Amino acid sequence: MWNVGSFLRVEKGFQMAEKSDSKPEITRRGFLSWVRAGWIAFTAAAATGSLSAFRFMFPNVLFEPPQIFKAGFPSEYADGMVDTRWKEKFRVWIVREGNLIYALRSVCTHLGCTPNWLSTEEKFKCPCHGSGFYISGINFEGPAPRPLERVRISLAEDGQILIDQTQIFQQEKGQWSNPESFLII
Amino acid sequence: MIDSLKELINSISSPSFFLTLSIILLGVSLYFKQFWTRRSLGIAAAISGGLFLFSVTDENFREIVAKPDNLPIIALLFLVGFFTWLSLHLAFDNDRRKAAGEPILEKQETLPKTFVWPDLVYIEFIALIVCTVVLIVWSVLLKAPIEEPANPADSPPSTKAPWYFLGLQEMLVYFDPWIAGVVIPSIIVLGLMAIPYIDRDVKGSGYYSFRERRPQILVFLFGFSILWVFLIILGTFFRGPNWNFFGPYEFWDVHKVVLMNNVNLSEFIWVRGMGIGLPRNWLVREIFGIVLLLGYFAVPPYLLARGWFRSYYEKLGINRYLLMMFLLLSMLALPIKMYLLWIFNLKYIVSIPEYFFNI
Amino acid sequence: MKKLFTVKNTQIWKSIFRHGPPEDRRNRSLAVLANVFLHLHPVKVRSSSIRLRYTWCMGGLTFFLFLVLTVTGILLMFYYRPTVEYAYGDIIDLREQVPLGAMREIHRWGAHAMVISVWLHMFRVFMTGSYKPPREFNWVVGVLLLVLTLLLSFTGYLLPWDQLAMWAVTVGSNMARATPLMGTEGPGTALLVLGDVKLVHAGNDARFFLLAGRFVGAATLLRFYVLHCIAIPFVASILMAVHFWRIRKDGGISGPL
Repeated sequence: MWNVGSFLRVEKGFQMAEKSDSKPEITRRGFLSWVRAGWIAFTAAAATGSLSAFRFMFPNVLFEPPQIFKAGFPSEYADGMVDTRWKEKFRVWIVREGNLIYALRSVCTHLGCTPNWLSTEEKFKCPCHGSGFYISGINFEGPAPRPLERVRISLAEDGQILIDQTQIFQQEKGQWSNPESFLII
Repeated sequence: MIDSLKELINSISSPSFFLTLSIILLGVSLYFKQFWTRRSLGIAAAISGGLFLFSVTDENFREIVAKPDNLPIIALLFLVGFFTWLSLHLAFDNDRRKAAGEPILEKQETLPKTFVWPDLVYIEFIALIVCTVVLIVWSVLLKAPIEEPANPADSPPSTKAPWYFLGLQEMLVYFDPWIAGVVIPSIIVLGLMAIPYIDRDVKGSGYYSFRERRPQILVFLFGFSILWVFLIILGTFFRGPNWNFFGPYEFWDVHKVVLMNNVNLSEFIWVRGMGIGLPRNWLVREIFGIVLLLGYFAVPPYLLARGWFRSYYEKLGINRYLLMMFLLLSMLALPIKMYLLWIFNLKYIVSIPEYFFNI
Repeated sequence: MKKLFTVKNTQIWKSIFRHGPPEDRRNRSLAVLANVFLHLHPVKVRSSSIRLRYTWCMGGLTFFLFLVLTVTGILLMFYYRPTVEYAYGDIIDLREQVPLGAMREIHRWGAHAMVISVWLHMFRVFMTGSYKPPREFNWVVGVLLLVLTLLLSFTGYLLPWDQLAMWAVTVGSNMARATPLMGTEGPGTALLVLGDVKLVHAGNDARFFLLAGRFVGAATLLRFYVLHCIAIPFVASILMAVHFWRIRKDGGISGPL
């Protein structure tokens, strides 16, 4: 809010001065509105500048492995196996159970460490804080609050599996029933 | 004999045991001012030093303590202990002087003012040299550790945050990341900043004193030495692989299994209490927890303003009083939640995983 | 002795030191007043307030450690390249190949010591009630400096690019994912949607801002390097100037007012 009172107080004195001046070129009111406009413009410019500097810190291009990649043909994946070939590069496991194929992110839902697939114990085990997940991705031990996340899986035109990590499906939200979260072959 | 003693210590060691012990120690020691004399410092130093020497003979203890990165935490433990003693020693001394009508230590008008050059400048100079020598000796004797090159695909067992954040990591056992990692740190920082705007009492400004600032010192010592420094010690020396608790002489077994069967408040009430299942609607399901939580932050300030804290309420005014109560209750929420977990296996008071909102 | 006397009579000497040796009252005052660094102190202080047992010298030591870390940090920067390819090897080289191989040790242990001395300084200031009026705002500046010290240490933690660094920062920065409304897994974030589009996701949340990526990677290393070497020390220096200036204006080092 503009402090009207203080403006009015000044106004009186100014008007008196104005009277003695024979040629008033800029009126007091006009001058003040310019000052006001100036301050508004300055504040807006400063805010825009800070916002742009903030935006500057969010990169547009990431030098990370692409989020969407082709993972070979479904026949390359054996039944009942967790395939770890994409883990190092793309942080995804591909699991096949019968004719069901799904892709799990290899990021622990506790604090983001990378779990390992222990084939003898049939579980994903996070070394950081001991969370354990079944082959389905459901958590059953340790501090992890929820199951591993699935990512979007589909068949590309050439018949290869297409993994799209931009879309994530969470079991506890009931998203695993979404047809894009698994593949039936 | 020694082995069975170690066994005994291992078996009674637990976070709840240590926390309770340190709270009792703090309370008792502040109650008896005899605790803050030179003699008791000597006794405390002898006991803790003896305990340390005895423990160092143990292989498992030595392995943890002798890590180069853990040296500063041992230093921190003894430094905080010593300086707590020193500050309270001086504070009780000042209290005695005031009671006897003598001038306090910091304001003996018989002493003249002194020139900064050379008196203060030389003290600073000597402090710098001592500090430099300590740092260089430390650096020559102990190599800074470096592990394997970073590998995003291979998490190492037992990942700990940097040591000064281990208090926060310990809080992760009792709270979800959004509270332990975001809300609590913000409240700590803002709460620290708010201190001079809540405690504006001119008494006790610029000198050690206990009698004139009893509540302030109690709260600060509880927050700093127990909820911050003690939790760091706990996280460094007693939390092993998988953040499991290990006694001081226990081997850090990667495969130690700790059964955690924690129950939410809603399950306590709906399932165990009333014998019906959890309601579908999250608001109905969690209504008791929400009411409890709101009540926790609303009722004590109201009741205390009319009771024990009446004088504070009148002195501080409504805004400052509410801010103070909010900060105090937030601070107490941590130990309360810890004991709730230890005693009742209570996991969440309010649990709305639909919106990642668990408290 | 005579030679020194002639040196002191030269124009060069006199242009640098405008007063005599600090042996009398006048020149001792001038030694402090005429020196840009020393004039952060008053000319005279209460005898009791400079006793080590009252001040513990922790504030001074913290500042000194900051200087030590600045100097050793600059030296380390001559050999260290903040890229995924080179960072780890450069740290090994700093120990094995570079003359005075203890430079990284001084930097690391000094950083630990600085965190401790900052805490003890705060502890002393609290126990002497030195945050009370008129020093309230300086306490606030001090809290900010404490936070910056921890941030400096945390950003430095990543630079060796070893397993400890990477996973401590992964775990630490994962907290940011849980920021209310600003992290993908924060409470309330799920409400921020436009139709089917999530407004806050792993590609623009608080953690992304911190790491410059979805994972701790090359961009994170560079970002933490710049924060550690330039940005945070820059802000901390400004706040330190404010901190020291206000100590001086509010009645000098510790003591009752």
